[in-house]
Amino acid sequence: MIIRKTESIIELFMKEGVMSTPVLETENLVKVYGRGPAAFHALKGLTFEIHRGESVAIVGKSGSGKSTLMHLLALLDEPTSGVVALDGKPVTKLKPKAVSGLRNATFGFVFQQFFLNPNQTVLENVTLPLKIAGISKSERNEHGMKALEQLEMADKAKNKATDLSGGQKQRVCIARALINNPEVIFADEPTGNLDSATSETVEDILFGLHRDHGITLVVVTHDEDLAAKCQRRLIMQDGHIVEEQTGASTTTPTAARVPAAPGERPQEQPSRRRRLMKFGKGGAR
Amino acid sequence: MRSLDVTKTAFSNTLRSKMRTFLTVIAIVIGGFTLTVTSGLSAGINQTVDDMLAGYGEEDQLFVMQASAMGMGEDLGPGPQPYDPEAGQQSSTFGQEMLSETDIEFIEGIDGVTNVEPIFFVSPDYLETSGGEQYTLNSLDIPADGPAMELVVGELPERDAMEITIPDTWLTMLDADAEDYEDIDPQIALGETVEIGISNLAFEQETVQAEIVGVSTANLAGIGGAPMPSYALNDELYEIQNSGLDVEQPDAFIQAVVDVDDLEANEQAIKDALQEEGLVGMTLEDLLGIIQGIIDAVAWVLYGFALIALLAASFGIVNTLLMSVQERTREIGLMKALGMSSGKVFGLFSMEAVIIGLLGSVIGLAAGLAVGFTANTLLTGGDGPLGGVGGLTLFALDPVALGLIAAVILVIAFAAGTLPAARAAKKDPIEALRYE
Ligand SMILES: Nc1ncnc2c1ncn2[C@@H]1O[C@H](COP(=O)(O)OP(=O)(O)OP(=O)(O)O)[C@@H](O)[C@H]1O
Ligand SMILES: [Mg+2]
Repeated sequence: MIIRKTESIIELFMKEGVMSTPVLETENLVKVYGRGPAAFHALKGLTFEIHRGESVAIVGKSGSGKSTLMHLLALLDEPTSGVVALDGKPVTKLKPKAVSGLRNATFGFVFQQFFLNPNQTVLENVTLPLKIAGISKSERNEHGMKALEQLEMADKAKNKATDLSGGQKQRVCIARALINNPEVIFADEPTGNLDSATSETVEDILFGLHRDHGITLVVVTHDEDLAAKCQRRLIMQDGHIVEEQTGASTTTPTAARVPAAPGERPQEQPSRRRRLMKFGKGGAR
Repeated sequence: MRSLDVTKTAFSNTLRSKMRTFLTVIAIVIGGFTLTVTSGLSAGINQTVDDMLAGYGEEDQLFVMQASAMGMGEDLGPGPQPYDPEAGQQSSTFGQEMLSETDIEFIEGIDGVTNVEPIFFVSPDYLETSGGEQYTLNSLDIPADGPAMELVVGELPERDAMEITIPDTWLTMLDADAEDYEDIDPQIALGETVEIGISNLAFEQETVQAEIVGVSTANLAGIGGAPMPSYALNDELYEIQNSGLDVEQPDAFIQAVVDVDDLEANEQAIKDALQEEGLVGMTLEDLLGIIQGIIDAVAWVLYGFALIALLAASFGIVNTLLMSVQERTREIGLMKALGMSSGKVFGLFSMEAVIIGLLGSVIGLAAGLAVGFTANTLLTGGDGPLGGVGGLTLFALDPVALGLIAAVILVIAFAAGTLPAARAAKKDPIEALRYE
């Protein structure tokens, strides 16, 4: 457990930079809501980085600024001051259109509320990022079906999104987050609306993606189990990061559950399918 | 997002709340319908007039009248008018001022005029068939109108022969058994000889014989609605009408048909010269243009109402889309979060407005055309109330006008969509995602 001080950042950056490049970096990130006497400092100068292929949990009490931070990292919002850099390039100065393009190409999102369009089919919901990217329908559907297959949801492709259970909905959301081959998946309370068994399925899927595809995972959560599965935890309080924990706490939950060799690839469908089916049923319970 | 996807998505979005879209579209349909019917009506009337002009050919003729007869005289104000012994000589039975000999001489003197054919005003008493039946005959068509006349059978009277045409409605005098003139074969009239009775100044009746050579039907300008004599017959009747008293009655003419050398080049100069003398010269085109002008004025009033309807409908679009933007706040937020640019969001909602406009214009135009053509068939068909008007087309297809109408509706719809679309584009993804 390291209590992180601003002075040690450069040192830490040098050390970790050798191992992997930071995909996201922040410098003195400040977010103030409102103006004048009503101004509220939600983030009070955060500097840290997230490395490629890392899984990071942002934890903390309600109102501590977790979602605010995630929105800034995901380029959904602009900081009041400070810098967010993606792949070493500051994005604060970019035009809105370029930022939109970056989000579309590099990020995947999973939200607590599912944000599925009830009028559209599961497949249409999943392929929305590709539609926005301007990819042809046939190609979209091909990718969409692959993503749904990966999440055991292929048979629901033609269903309306409203016809699904909560766990199924979140799997659809993950499929949507996956479809553009993102570098980073942001998940804000991905299991907040799910029962514990279903939560575990969803967590498994997310960490499976992280492990198998090297996708960087940034998870905002209250859930200690979920946070514990992440390689690093940023603990927030009143707009500050007060503590940073590294290493999967106690036992690595992913390793415990997946005894396969480190080189396991998603092509090894049978074992994955069986595992997912089990939890899938659990979710429907 | 591809334009095709934008269009498809916008289309399926408009179909989401069908009732609301339907009601919004209805308002546009009303505007589009009115515009279509109006344009078809004016196209139909104009086509009728053009057909009449085409029948008249390219003769270089001007019809000259007293300006006051056309309501174009100098406005001298109310109250007593100074007396002009030249002009005030004669007026027709309808009080219309006539042309005098001096007027005719003046016209003949104008540059470019090759021939002047004065038209006498003739008011006979009766027409008698070979069977001996007599029918009241107050007015005759003017021979000069011949070229614009719509003939059912036969041909126009020869200039120098004692010939006449009768309107199709007069056929009943030749076949007493028939209930309706439409049941009578107009061919039977051809070659029939009739006698025309006319009183002279001493109130003594005389008769002139004439042969029926054609059967006419009244057209939009009213030409062909009365028997029309040849020039020779008209002159003969005028001779009789002005005889009987031992006084020299100055000739007076209801109008003069003026042949002009190269009408196009000389038209304005001759018209100006005539105007200085208090006369007015009009081509057939000018005469029919008066009818066209009235129709066009009516059309523009209707266009105005239709545009007001469309304006009202545009607020319906604004309202519908604003509601839609509000309802879909989260969806918009999600799309923006997933990387859709504000420009594309604007495009998507504008496209929804355009699609509403497109639906409205397609339905409105189709309904307008269907009603227009049906009404045309029913009204101007053989049994219709306007069936008697020869060569009349009430409703015609005007593709340019239809294209223009559709374009106007789409532009209005797009303009109406800009406000809600801008609202949608301005939405902040964060706020939209937090929105409950
Ligand atoms: N648009 C806003 N205007 C004013 N204050 C805001 C706004 N958005 C967030 N806040 C405030 O900023 C603080 C941090 O909010 P944030 O949503 O980041 O909290 P959180 O850590 O995600 O909490 P939770 O766990 O409940 O989701 C809160 O006190 C919140 O009231
Ligand atoms: Mg939050």
